Amino acid sequence: MIIRPEDVKGDITKSADVVVIGSGAGGAPIAKELAVEGRSVVVLEEGAHYTRDDFKLNPLESMMRMYRDAGQTITLGVPSVVAPMGNTLGGTTTINSGTALRMLGPILKKWHMFHGLHDITEDEMGLLYSHLEEYLFVKKADPEVAGPVANTFLEGARKLGLSSGWLPRNAKECEGYGSCAFGCPSGAKQSMDVSFIPDASKSGAEFYTCCRAESIKVSNDVAKGVTGRFVDPSSGRSTGIGITVEAKVVVLAGGAIYSPFFLLRQGLANSSGQVGRNLEIHPAVQTVALMDRPMDPPKGIPQSSHVDEFKDEGIMLEGGTVPPEVHAVTLPFYGKAHAAHMKQYPNMGIFGGMVSDIDSWGRVLALPRAGYSPSIFYSLKGRDVEKARLATVIMAEIWFAAGAKKVFTAITGHTELGSTADLRRLAQSRIRARDIYAMSAYHYLGTCRMGSDPEWSVVKHTGETWDVENLFISDASILPTSPGVNPQLTIMALATRNAGFIDDKLNNG
Amino acid sequence: MLEKTVREFMPVLLGTPEGLPDPDIEGQTRFALEYLSAGAKEFKPVYLIAAASFKVLAVLLKRKPWSMLTIEEKDYVANKLFSYSNPLLRSIPLLLAMPILASYYRREEVQMALGFDAKALKADAELRTVTRDRDLPPKCK
Repeated sequence: MIIRPEDVKGDITKSADVVVIGSGAGGAPIAKELAVEGRSVVVLEEGAHYTRDDFKLNPLESMMRMYRDAGQTITLGVPSVVAPMGNTLGGTTTINSGTALRMLGPILKKWHMFHGLHDITEDEMGLLYSHLEEYLFVKKADPEVAGPVANTFLEGARKLGLSSGWLPRNAKECEGYGSCAFGCPSGAKQSMDVSFIPDASKSGAEFYTCCRAESIKVSNDVAKGVTGRFVDPSSGRSTGIGITVEAKVVVLAGGAIYSPFFLLRQGLANSSGQVGRNLEIHPAVQTVALMDRPMDPPKGIPQSSHVDEFKDEGIMLEGGTVPPEVHAVTLPFYGKAHAAHMKQYPNMGIFGGMVSDIDSWGRVLALPRAGYSPSIFYSLKGRDVEKARLATVIMAEIWFAAGAKKVFTAITGHTELGSTADLRRLAQSRIRARDIYAMSAYHYLGTCRMGSDPEWSVVKHTGETWDVENLFISDASILPTSPGVNPQLTIMALATRNAGFIDDKLNNG
Repeated sequence: MLEKTVREFMPVLLGTPEGLPDPDIEGQTRFALEYLSAGAKEFKPVYLIAAASFKVLAVLLKRKPWSMLTIEEKDYVANKLFSYSNPLLRSIPLLLAMPILASYYRREEVQMALGFDAKALKADAELRTVTRDRDLPPKCK
């Protein structure tokens, strides 16, 4: 059952086997798996419940309703990175691209060697991925639906002999409405709100929406439940109605920014001092190409194709169309020049280059701020700056191979590439992090990392915290490193795995 | 004050899009303010600081009082600031432009002129039924 704030008339007190905070890729699979096993499950979700009727291909309206801070979350550091996050039933899966990739092979070996996570085996992850791929109808994007931007970019990549292809996506019968990031208008994308959550509800799980968890009740280092408060979805202010859930197990699944923020505010589960540290974000640079033929944006699948030639070096190219109002803020001009370029929007395409960050520094802190907002510090450093430059060069080269007349980049001094000579100049240059004027990030990871050493990690391989018994964390924060690709499938796989440990725990009293 | 600032910077940063619908200063300002209010609490004061910084830098760059500067001169200043490698200077026009550009290019008539008919796509999407059933034919349109 999905309970909206208008259905709640007064304070609520409940008891359940499990209470889950958050309904995204980490929370919803646990809720479903345990509900199907006959456990009583209560989920507290801070965002509101929107359905496909609400998804009107209107990006800014969607951002103001379904994104934290209306999509204006920015990291503090050099360069500033725009860091959008979902705040709705289904979490960020409701507003993501639907890319469903498995973690790169060598990453799990790293987890074994450097984080002692030998209990997570390749075979087990393979089974979990297969199960999820079937459950979520994962299949490669249809080239006929993908749209001209993706096809043109891949054409360029093929001319250069680069490994490329169509991305696997959790979308069933997608017809390419170009609006994944603002809510799928046809219900094709198998985000949590149309997959795990309805199935969990059918098995008796209760989802309280517009309900912000405020604290975890802990007694003698054992989690006992959660207290929360209903909030007005537009202002985020408390409605004055509270909820208390007594539970045998508490699962924190607020994502890699809000889960550590929650724990830091309460001073919980942080004897290692690692909560909020080790933040990785997959920073991304973009290129905009002006072609000599219509690209028909934003129709098609916004993120349907990829170039993975450089994935082992930590560079994945994935792209890329956006509606006019989002496109407008990506162009490196203002005033007259901006207006002249925007007129050519129908002939433009966007592609993004995502970097697996290894040298950069990031941390989430709970500093005094107005509203309910963490402070996110992030600075792009060392080899990651070079990777961002390389990603830009490769994308520009691909665009030119595909016939681009001009390519616009996010690197100061190289914002407009009109020829291969300009491209060579960028290819031979050295840049600093401050030279990148626009970066965005969509995958926040590692801030409550898993590991075998309680001094260096926050949770065990089961997802249970080292410090507080029966308190589990299930979201991207537990990933000890980047999975090298979009992480949603890995988050769901670990959540499904950890549901088994929670079930065992409940069986054993 | 915020409203005055958005109104003041709208013609500078938006330019005059030839062949596209005229700016709707009233409606766009209303939306820009709504958008700014929906963001982080610090966003509005930072926006005002960016506007004040823009004015001071414009006066220094063009050696004229702000009230004497033409739209073209302000346009020049915006692009000049954006070309600097100092991220703080560069972020001034970036920040000021965000709600202004978004408020114009989100308008239905502007999007239609650019070849994007969101309403028609939404209507088409509504005709489709996607179920999680694995046995039925894949789609009915």
